[in-house]
Amino acid sequence: MTAQAIAGLAPRSGWLTLQRRRYLFALVFVLPALLNFAIFRYVPILLAGQASLYDYSLLGGFGDFVGLKNYVHAFEDDLFVTSLLVAIKFALMKVPAQVALALLLALFVSREVRGMGAIRTIIFIPVVTSLVVGSLLWAMMYNKDLGLIQSLLGVFGIGHTAFMSNPVLALPSMVFMMVWKEVGFSTIIFVAGLKGIPAMFYDAAAIDGAGRIRQFFAITLPLLKPVLLFVVVTQTISAMQVFIPIFVMTQGGPFYATDAIVYYIYQNGFQYNDMGYASAMSFIVLVLLVAVSGLQFKALKGNVDY
Amino acid sequence: MAAGKLPLRVREKRQGMATLDGTGGALTLAYRQDSRIRVGRVAETVGRSLIYLVIVVLFLGPFIWMFFGSLRKESEITGYMFPFSWNTIVPVEWTLQNFLDIYGISEAGQKGGLKFHIGLMNSGLISIAVVSCSLVFNTMAAYFFARLPFPGKKYLTAFVVATFLLPFEVTVVPLYLVVSDLGMRNTYWSMIVPFFASPFIVFMLTQFLGTIPKELDEAALVDGANYWQILWQIVFPNAVPAILTAALIEFQFIWNLFYWPLIATSSLDLQVIQVMIASQTTDRTIYWGRTFAGLVSAVVPVLLLFLFGQRFYFRGAVLSGMK
Repeated sequence: MTAQAIAGLAPRSGWLTLQRRRYLFALVFVLPALLNFAIFRYVPILLAGQASLYDYSLLGGFGDFVGLKNYVHAFEDDLFVTSLLVAIKFALMKVPAQVALALLLALFVSREVRGMGAIRTIIFIPVVTSLVVGSLLWAMMYNKDLGLIQSLLGVFGIGHTAFMSNPVLALPSMVFMMVWKEVGFSTIIFVAGLKGIPAMFYDAAAIDGAGRIRQFFAITLPLLKPVLLFVVVTQTISAMQVFIPIFVMTQGGPFYATDAIVYYIYQNGFQYNDMGYASAMSFIVLVLLVAVSGLQFKALKGNVDY
Repeated sequence: MAAGKLPLRVREKRQGMATLDGTGGALTLAYRQDSRIRVGRVAETVGRSLIYLVIVVLFLGPFIWMFFGSLRKESEITGYMFPFSWNTIVPVEWTLQNFLDIYGISEAGQKGGLKFHIGLMNSGLISIAVVSCSLVFNTMAAYFFARLPFPGKKYLTAFVVATFLLPFEVTVVPLYLVVSDLGMRNTYWSMIVPFFASPFIVFMLTQFLGTIPKELDEAALVDGANYWQILWQIVFPNAVPAILTAALIEFQFIWNLFYWPLIATSSLDLQVIQVMIASQTTDRTIYWGRTFAGLVSAVVPVLLLFLFGQRFYFRGAVLSGMK
């Protein structure tokens, strides 16, 4: 502040000191963002908590107060439990596959040889396209009558195979598409992690006679652990919330084989018009996921220092 | 293996790579005899080319099929699917008919009520509005966190960072309740207002602004500039790469958003392109050419931005992966 400004302020003594005036001016900068986060991130959770205690429908709004009925209903609802298990199954298939593949790809594409930039770009293209496009495109490739994959299988003499309408194959096929779509993202993160490992470690190991595989397990993997754990945590949380491929490819079928929790919540809230129940389930899953990521982060923090 | 004595060439290469690469292969090769090096090189080149090929086919193949599919007639797509041949992918006769149909330019498209141009316009409008707001408000908030004095600032930081723990898709139903209460259901506002600031972008920009020398704003303060002037005249011009990264990430995020616009809007005139392709074309329709054309329309804007600004995307991915 200039001397002039300070002089102008001086007479306004009392509560609005120069210090406080400065704080107020500073607050103006952050207030819009804080309001946004409060209204659109925190208030929804409070409101969902409230709605979960009522009969609440899209059209009718708040109905009778029902206490914990919606929560009791959730734990008695076989489909709720099934849909949670489907989400967990999806995450258990997708996360290890994606992390392992991303790690392999990262080792390959982090080498600075000619043409590798183009390869990194190509792997990243599915990442920037929307999941709706990815899901529709793969739904068409899997299509039992006309899919490109059917045509390719035909080359090997394999007849038409149902993917998305087969209860056994539907979820793994969806996982395959999701890994294809998102592996590039994890790869780029791993590449950055790999570049952070000092080259002298490898030089020292090579001098001591450690081979490539030995170097990977003795140097690369331990030093990459924080990044690795982080990717696992965030990928698990996002995999548990799978929605778009289900909406586009299977609508939860066949026989609920792909009816993961977020889609089940959507069905209850927007198709069966039971917002109270949808809110209660959102609340349960929210608490569950926050707990899981909280725990995993704590584990991660304990593991970073060595 | 022989100890020490790395040939100079290898050493240089490894330093240039600055990492990673005990796995590089160069090191192992260097210990072998000359003739074996040549054989090894050839084998490595062949192996690498094979991996290149697999990656290109797997990651680009579906998109190539999609682009070519959008440029051919319906009868061709079905006619050449079996048995697999060159023309399963590549059109025999090229046509723009599918695009004319989905944009309601051709008669068939008008009859089918296809209005994908509206979807594209809505998506563009919303994405640009969100990116503009977010540039202003996120940068302001980041400037606050990186620079301005305030009592108890760490609590405000915690307030922002804690939102990272809130899973997005699960909070969509709760968000719907709030947006309905605010009377924004089924309006453009419902797709803009909730996103005018982003905790992740605030966090990312805060970290970047922290790296700009503080002496710059202190000098300006002495010269009589206020916080507002310092932000836009001194800090902002120095943060352009980070702000560009933020803008591109935000654009892609909003352009690709599906679940929220799906439930926040019900009228056809407000549909964004992602919702339009998912609801008006599916793998079960008889018009695969139109579906392909719809997919191409939804992909091209983000694809072009990505191809021109790749390094910003990679940086953004790394920052979000490290948050």
